[in-house]
Amino acid sequence: MSELGPITCMGCGLLCDDVTVETSGDDVRLRPECRLGARWFAERTRLTGKPPATINGEPAEVGAALARAAELLRSARRPAVSGFEGATVEDARAAVALADRIGALVSHGSLDGPWAGAPAVPLRGSSTATLGEIRDRSRVVVIWREDPERTHPRLLGRLGFGGPGERTLVVVDERETATAARAGLRLTWSRERDLVALSALHALQRGLTIRLDELASELSGLLERLATVHHVTFVYGAGLTAGPGGQRRALALHELVRSLCQERHAVTLELPAAPGTRSADDVLAWQTGYAGSVDFASGHPELVMATEPLDEFDVTLRVESGGSGGGLVAGPDAEVWIRTAAAGVSAEGTAHRLDGVPLALQAPQADSAPTAAALLARLLERVQG
Amino acid sequence: MTEIRISGGAVHDPANDVDGAVRDVCLKDGKVVEDVGPGARRIDARGMVVMPGGVDIHAHIAGPKVNGARKLTPDTRRDDPVNRTSMLRSGTGGLVPSTFTTGYRYSLLGYTTVVEAAAPPLAARHVLAELRDTPMIDKAFLILMGNNQVLFELMRQPGGAASERLRDAVAWWLEATGGYGVKLVNPGGVELFKRDNGNVHSLDDHVAGFEVTPRQVLEAIGGAVDELGLPHPVHVHANNLGLPGNADTTLETMRTLAGRQAHFAHLQFHAYGRASGGLPSSRAPALLDHLSDHPELTADVGQVMFGEAVTMTADGPVGALLRDLGAEAWLNHDTEVETGCGIVPYRYRASSYVHALQWGIGLELFLLGKDPWQIMLSTDHPNGGSFLSYPKLIRLLMDRGFRDEEIGRANQRAIRRTALTDGLDREYTLNEIAIITRAAPARRLGLRDKGHLGIGADADVTIYHDRDDREEMFATPRYVIKGGELVVEEGELHRVEDGVLLSARAEFDPEVSRVLEPLFGERYTVAFEHYPVRDPALREPARVIEAAGS
Repeated sequence: MSELGPITCMGCGLLCDDVTVETSGDDVRLRPECRLGARWFAERTRLTGKPPATINGEPAEVGAALARAAELLRSARRPAVSGFEGATVEDARAAVALADRIGALVSHGSLDGPWAGAPAVPLRGSSTATLGEIRDRSRVVVIWREDPERTHPRLLGRLGFGGPGERTLVVVDERETATAARAGLRLTWSRERDLVALSALHALQRGLTIRLDELASELSGLLERLATVHHVTFVYGAGLTAGPGGQRRALALHELVRSLCQERHAVTLELPAAPGTRSADDVLAWQTGYAGSVDFASGHPELVMATEPLDEFDVTLRVESGGSGGGLVAGPDAEVWIRTAAAGVSAEGTAHRLDGVPLALQAPQADSAPTAAALLARLLERVQG
Repeated sequence: MTEIRISGGAVHDPANDVDGAVRDVCLKDGKVVEDVGPGARRIDARGMVVMPGGVDIHAHIAGPKVNGARKLTPDTRRDDPVNRTSMLRSGTGGLVPSTFTTGYRYSLLGYTTVVEAAAPPLAARHVLAELRDTPMIDKAFLILMGNNQVLFELMRQPGGAASERLRDAVAWWLEATGGYGVKLVNPGGVELFKRDNGNVHSLDDHVAGFEVTPRQVLEAIGGAVDELGLPHPVHVHANNLGLPGNADTTLETMRTLAGRQAHFAHLQFHAYGRASGGLPSSRAPALLDHLSDHPELTADVGQVMFGEAVTMTADGPVGALLRDLGAEAWLNHDTEVETGCGIVPYRYRASSYVHALQWGIGLELFLLGKDPWQIMLSTDHPNGGSFLSYPKLIRLLMDRGFRDEEIGRANQRAIRRTALTDGLDREYTLNEIAIITRAAPARRLGLRDKGHLGIGADADVTIYHDRDDREEMFATPRYVIKGGELVVEEGELHRVEDGVLLSARAEFDPEVSRVLEPLFGERYTVAFEHYPVRDPALREPARVIEAAGS
């Protein structure tokens, strides 16, 4: 059995950096225990027989694959750069540089699923905090339609649940999830009623009288809990913000939190869709001025506010870090694939935790594959050349 | 390396007592030299004004706070796009430009060195990455230490406030982050705000949970920085920013730091008395009197300019105050153990009593101050206005007629509460402008190679047309030379230089890690061994300035 660590785990957006990896043959275990993290690490260390690159599914040299990818991007009418799952800050910096040069659209996430639309934050702002602030100060944590026990398995522990100090976990979700099973208070209205519930909470919190139906007792119960504490946190993610009306629901949450801040300290914590998303979002913001999806087609950055998938791209470049399937994928129809080193396993770098804290990634297992950042820089040279 | 002879310009190099003398300035290998060979490029600067490159001692250009402001204000950049060229990255401008655009625009303004004045140490990797993407300028950042729980713990140990251990911890933090200096923001107050929306209101209020006071924090950290001999003294954003009557707090803060070197940030925001009706009045003269008696103290002004701004501060309670004054959007972010952050887009209106008073107090600080080496130019970008408003501010200082016109447009009730209508006819000279925009900031930052044009200085030079319209003159330098390379010519970027990171280093006992590690373990959610930034890609190229005490 071998032991590696402590390392920073990129298995989810939490980026736990106190992780020791124990490997015995194919068996991978993490200490502190985390099945998601163990699976993430195992998948990125089992690369049996994969070539360094392929073109149309056939093994190829990396140089030839880069040349073909550059050719595709150079001749693209409407290129797009997407993905960023497991990507580092360095990967994102290189990807945005390339997108700028070729006039591509950049979006973190899938191009095929629903798009984020206009961001809610510019309308009224937000209140946020790092994990340590929440752990040490929040006595009520409200998880809004997320199941971190599955997607971010150590989140509740890192927010202090199961440790010393009294705190209440409130879960808004009608589903029977692992997180809901730990709740001290459950609120089970359906997703369609989120906007009504948030607006009503806001109104009630401000002392307004409103007519309420069956939501009344649930909302009153939550407000009673909130009234007893000096510090409260709302954890949310795509469960609240995805799909039609997502911006309005997010806005309603931020309005509620802002209003709560009059009487106590209130913050939010957003769970990202994937590790790497926060890094890409931050890099996009500093290099372009805009977060989310940004289009360079006009020669300068423009914020993209689409909510439906755009289908106009003839060449896409997907950026993912390492693993058996991860890498750079270019083409129409994923014609070119180039394996990249897995950040946090075989490549060092920096990633931003879900709360924005930047963390160093280690490379406990050497790999000859180049990083996505290095490949993107070579690709940029070829595109310019 | 290019050799350049700048020929026949009127040189303003106050650090070397050169006040408009017509002489050549020679540059070679990135430095000012005695002479260059006959093959050197010759820049004909006859009829022009030659100054060292500008040095901004206090601005907000990189890090999570600045990036949060970008995310909060996309509309302010939509109408200010910057297209990519074969040489330049694209970007957006506005009040909080994207990183590349920030570098380009500072360079186009003739600035060659900029200090990011408030960075959470925990976010050092982020700050460094942004600075790497900010070309054209040398850059440094100050790390926030005024609300650091670990330092509070060290302070309250017996003898802790004046201990070697505390000095070692400050030096360790600089080494761990690549920071250049130490910033104190509302010492103690931010911790209480994060706890339960609280704040401190006097230097002797207790910070609940730690039993330290703002005064103790000032004495302990200010003392540690002074004793370490860091190139830049402790950089203080005093308690009670923006509140009527806060000049008393500022004066008490100055007295508390008596005998120690200290720099006071954006003094204008801390220079208020109390007028009737709860309104602020000007106490600028009282602060200036104190400064003139204490040469160990300096300040930058933090001038507000009428128009749009974005307030961004580690002083979380100030952000909440502005929120409650009716801000449309408000962003708050709490960083564990270390600091907070509040961001509010803002507009300073000439018709507003408070805004006009703030504007007037800033001008009072400039115009009533006796020693320009003590009072440096800043707008606390973008809090009082964008750095792009520096040329207009310079015109306000140099051109009394223009200033009087602008005074006439401002709220007269406020202006009457300042000295601006008392026949204040001072007009800054070019040499005084050179002092407040480059020589004094460089000296105060301990950057011996910057802010002057003596032999051995960095070859950072700005050459202006000598125009009557000083705003136009300072907005569009004829040439800008960075590190000995011509980068700007007549308002156009000709070459991209990366610039270097400026860091400071002081010796410390590595055993301090044994003290810090358990305190980290109790408080941070980041492992102690992963906290220091060691990556060469982030830390280099750098120029490391050693502390005098090392």
